[in-house]
Amino acid sequence: MDNVCEEEVFSSIFTNTSKTVYNSIYYKYGNAEKAYDAVQEAFLKLWENCSKVSPEKAKSYVYTVANNLYLNVLKAEKVRLKYADRQQDTSHESPEFLMEEAQYREKYEKALAALPENQRTTFLLNRIDGKKYAEIAEMEGVSVKAIEKRMHLALKSLREKIAGI
Amino acid sequence: MKENYLAKWLNNELSEAELEAFKKTAEYADYQRIVATTDTLEAPDFDMDAALQEFKNKQFQKQPKVIAMKPRRKWLQIAAAIAVLMVVSLFYVNSLDTSISTEFAERREVTLPDASEVVLNADSRLSFSEKAWDKERNVTLKGEAFFKVAKGKRFTVATEAGTVSVLGTEFNVENRNDFFEVTCYEGLVSVNFNGKEIQLPAGSSFQVIQGTIQPITDPKTASPSWINHESSFNSIPLAYVLDEFQRQYNVRMEIQNVNTQQLFTGSFSNTNMDLALQSISIPSQIAYKLEGDKVLFYAKETP
Repeated sequence: MDNVCEEEVFSSIFTNTSKTVYNSIYYKYGNAEKAYDAVQEAFLKLWENCSKVSPEKAKSYVYTVANNLYLNVLKAEKVRLKYADRQQDTSHESPEFLMEEAQYREKYEKALAALPENQRTTFLLNRIDGKKYAEIAEMEGVSVKAIEKRMHLALKSLREKIAGI
Repeated sequence: MKENYLAKWLNNELSEAELEAFKKTAEYADYQRIVATTDTLEAPDFDMDAALQEFKNKQFQKQPKVIAMKPRRKWLQIAAAIAVLMVVSLFYVNSLDTSISTEFAERREVTLPDASEVVLNADSRLSFSEKAWDKERNVTLKGEAFFKVAKGKRFTVATEAGTVSVLGTEFNVENRNDFFEVTCYEGLVSVNFNGKEIQLPAGSSFQVIQGTIQPITDPKTASPSWINHESSFNSIPLAYVLDEFQRQYNVRMEIQNVNTQQLFTGSFSNTNMDLALQSISIPSQIAYKLEGDKVLFYAKETP
């Protein structure tokens, strides 16, 4: 089996990769609706070209296509991420702490939005989606070393922005 | 610190010593907090099942269509290639000259695009470019033909021996082997032979045999005799006469002990072979024998 034309193969690729690709596009450009459309479009392209794409390359293919579709049509918007509900941690929080925390998050969000798209996407894919560097590298079509560089720079500039350096 | 140590730290790749050193830096707490904050973030909502269902609804029903397109595309490519080839060859064929030829014992009448008429004698070939006809009336001739040229631009007949050009007239051109003859029946004909231009008024003839210009003999008819199914000769070497006989009757010819350089004046019928054979042999004092489609000419035994 060298292509993804079998419906079952295709469905399993969709199941395994669509969320990651969707998240990546969202981390990059910050519009959930458009990211969703781009992913749908990209899988359509994969289906049309199913005979030319091997299952191993499918993820990278879909990501590249979705990325290009997005780049062609749309401009990046600010990434807005929800915070996971952490009710159980609130027992000891004082009002001062809560205010400080809110201020910190505001700075954090600004810093995150200010990151270059590649760094932000890589950083969030690793931290939120738990993707390994190698996996991100494969999808983005770059080396693991380049992904490490992005991670390093992302964290470094987040700190500098938040600390106001 | 190691290159990209923050990435290594996030990936738990720092050695214990490196980790200790990193923990002692002032930034360590900042980094820890950033990572902690990041780790409280949630991925955006993505309902994969719904997405897959939507995709399937949109795409899988179109599957037969997608697959059907491929062979048709290939077929279309071939069809397109053939169409292009046909168009190109059509242009090519169109740009080629039109040519009309006659076999032995055949005569054809041709009407040119400007309504000029040409009668092709046996074993002759006429070619012209239909496309360029509006620009120049040029024909190429091998053999013999009688032209009735419609009035208009210069009309040129090119032969291996020379070119004949006119504006509108009736004339006959014959060019075979080393025999070249132009006879003008009406109007004015200009003959270019070996770079010389000869003006040929109506009722005159220009003749070259074996490279030498023969004294002009004026025709007495309004059209060449072969038009009326008769071949006429005026002091022409017998060899040419016999060649013409062969062309008119499509026979194989054999000649034994006959002086073919003797001059022949007279004519023979192009429709009655027995009569024609007599017309040639009696004045030339030669004998002939006819066997099927083969004619033997031989010297008459002197009585």
